[in-house]
Amino acid sequence: MTAQDQSRPGNGAPRRVVVTGTGAICPVGNTVADIWAAIAAGRSGIAPITLFDAERFETRFAGEVKGFDPATAVGRKESRRMDRFTQFSVAATREAVGAACLDVAGDATRIGVIVGTGMGGMATFEDGIETLLTSGPKRVSPFFVPMMLPNMASGIVSIDIGAKGPNFATVSACASSAHAIGEATMMIRNGYADVIIAGGGEAPVTRMGVSGFNAMGALSTRNDEPARASRPFDADRDGFVLAEGAAVLVLEDRERAVARNATILAEVIGYGTTDDANHMVQPGPGGEGAARAMNLALADAGIEPSAVDYINAHGTSTQLNEKLETHALRRVFGDLATTIPISSTKSMTGHLLGAAGSLESVIVIEAMKFGVMPPTINQERHDPECELDTIPNTAREGRIGIAMSNSMGFGGHNVSLVFADADRAAV
Amino acid sequence: MSQEGTGHPRKRVVVTGMGAICALGHSVSSIWSAMVAGETGVETIISFDPAGFGTRFAAEVGDLPVNDLLGRKQARRMDRFTQFAVIAARQAVTQSGLDVSREPERVGVIIGSALSGFETFVTATETMLTAGPRRVSPFAVPMTIPNMAPGTVAIDVGAKGPAFAHSSAFASGAHAIGEGTRMIQDGRADAIVAGGAEAPILGLALAAFGAMGSLSRRNDEPRRAVRPFDAERDGCAMGEGAGVIVLEAREHALGRGAEILAEVTGYCTTADAFHEVQLAPGGDGIARAMSGAILDAGIEPSGIGYLNAHGTATVMNDAYETAAIRTAFGEAAPELAISSTKAMSGHLLGAAGGLEAIISIQALRDGILPPTINLETADPACDLDYIPGVARHQRVDAVMSNSMGFGGHNVSIIFAAGQ
Repeated sequence: MTAQDQSRPGNGAPRRVVVTGTGAICPVGNTVADIWAAIAAGRSGIAPITLFDAERFETRFAGEVKGFDPATAVGRKESRRMDRFTQFSVAATREAVGAACLDVAGDATRIGVIVGTGMGGMATFEDGIETLLTSGPKRVSPFFVPMMLPNMASGIVSIDIGAKGPNFATVSACASSAHAIGEATMMIRNGYADVIIAGGGEAPVTRMGVSGFNAMGALSTRNDEPARASRPFDADRDGFVLAEGAAVLVLEDRERAVARNATILAEVIGYGTTDDANHMVQPGPGGEGAARAMNLALADAGIEPSAVDYINAHGTSTQLNEKLETHALRRVFGDLATTIPISSTKSMTGHLLGAAGSLESVIVIEAMKFGVMPPTINQERHDPECELDTIPNTAREGRIGIAMSNSMGFGGHNVSLVFADADRAAV
Repeated sequence: MSQEGTGHPRKRVVVTGMGAICALGHSVSSIWSAMVAGETGVETIISFDPAGFGTRFAAEVGDLPVNDLLGRKQARRMDRFTQFAVIAARQAVTQSGLDVSREPERVGVIIGSALSGFETFVTATETMLTAGPRRVSPFAVPMTIPNMAPGTVAIDVGAKGPAFAHSSAFASGAHAIGEGTRMIQDGRADAIVAGGAEAPILGLALAAFGAMGSLSRRNDEPRRAVRPFDAERDGCAMGEGAGVIVLEAREHALGRGAEILAEVTGYCTTADAFHEVQLAPGGDGIARAMSGAILDAGIEPSGIGYLNAHGTATVMNDAYETAAIRTAFGEAAPELAISSTKAMSGHLLGAAGGLEAIISIQALRDGILPPTINLETADPACDLDYIPGVARHQRVDAVMSNSMGFGGHNVSIIFAAGQ
């Protein structure tokens, strides 16, 4: 162990946390660059399901990753020991670590991984259940457990890159990867690690994923027009669209990044998290918990609501979510809520559940880089309960110095993250 | 894992309440009495017919009066792992005397689990396969997901601060406690209800862990099957239950006159970055975690009197853990009293870290170190003091609890007497 590992709490200034690399795979692209091109062009990744025969299911479309060959992405032998959510997570991490030019081996014990997920290895789990039912206990695979456990993405990512610092998965349904980024930020800020690969992976487009969420009435059933189904804030929204993928950020102590001449893409300046403590699936009344999370994040960033240039909403495309999310935004931003540009990119990517927060953070960082605000597509009929500027249908040029990204998960978990752009991060 | 120059002194964190449930009992005191007496909860499985499985025993909690404890309607909306979490959390919060409603935004909940709502998902999938997708219950997804334990506990106690689940296989519950401690140290919350819960004793899990060679096959003598550090060990037994504690800022606890059960003085977490199930050679990852925790606590290795080992009784784990203890403790290793209580409680998977933290705190408070039962023939590769057979009366100043999970996750936590 180095002397650095052995230091005790000191009294220096709190550490700033920057983003030095991003990686992502989702229904609109398998690299950050491809994803951004699709988002800026307002393209949807939602289409009929191909991963299994969905004929008997109430919803028969989803956001699937396209043209992804696990063997090429992560290695043939390795891919067979990974559930799909782990394959995505490893591939996205390789992109991020490459983009960051991060040398992990040189400092492995100070580099950690927090990759969250909402559901873990669902396909593996379903297959194992089927095997037991049809063939009995002796045919259950020894790879069942190491493939379906939710922490396996985080664990296998650490093996893939050789990171020996703190490692666990944060699980909070649709807030999982936002929690990963927030908790990783706290860890670096308070000196417990110097770099964390933080984000999430999800592969829920399975028989149980679709039937389970259909049973809750949570999914859109617009089977005749999949690309128009995800319509957050629109009056005719009828549920979210299940999607798969992964996204991670390389979060780094700013001094360390500067010292190694890393490209700094953004800074995480605020994080707030609360719990509704209200109901197992319904958000708390009036969006109170979500509002508190946003206020905590703004306070953590040391900024006023008026300083926010763009908000990436949770915006799942359910009737209830956007109604409450609008209430929450009004609580925090007052009249500004009607004018701050706010969009839901789930309109294009679908809802990646445990990977949504990190994918949306990646998109926010690209938006800041290019000075383009992503649209909410499928805005056709205005909902008077959502008096917001949702950047309808077409991306809009505009400088984003400070952006907020919100994620709210089943079970009442709320996370708000605030990012500053590269220019602000540089000073 | 240690902290570097951050500009604020860390707050001290104490434990003001504990709650637990496992095969040995439905409360901390009943579990502790059984462990001190060297009893085991590992028995032939009765909750389903284990014929046809390679391992036919486990440490089951048995029937719980959940309708009385939780209310019939509420209990039906919780998978068994969530039921355990809520019961244990209530015990802990009650013992602590914490009035959550005074400042609910300053109280959080972090509960870890590995398999989470396993039974719910298995049942729902079987329904989907046999009766079709449209017959799946609307409660299947919410009851399955790991965050339902912290989410439901948060509703139950009214906590509105940070809340989510930790998942790191068998280190989950330990991570919840360690990361909950950090949250309070860094001023983000005044109290965290933290621990682990697990209800995995089902055919599929039994088959899956059996297929990995993790489970003992001593079916003719279940009570003697789990033999940590013994020369004839051949694996563990699955357990179920929960272990939940109330972590609180020391000032906050003193300010309201709470009884302090212990202080969390050290925490470190590392990753092996080696293999998805095998441990790094020499137990490198857990060795670094132990050393890091000792450094974090600001003590010498000899300051630790008792270590509750991960001790799963597999051939590999116990040998590697022994090597790791030697690395971390150096000359102090031979003087350290160590035991694995998994021989008595079974392996609670994601809840193990929560339950074993509580056992470690009890050892500290009572000056009684629980034994490693079934340790009859020493293995030369496990040549430390593992408190064979019988509990030992000995006052110690500090105790350590280790947990390691598939995927290479390692956690080491140190507790000292609270003042």
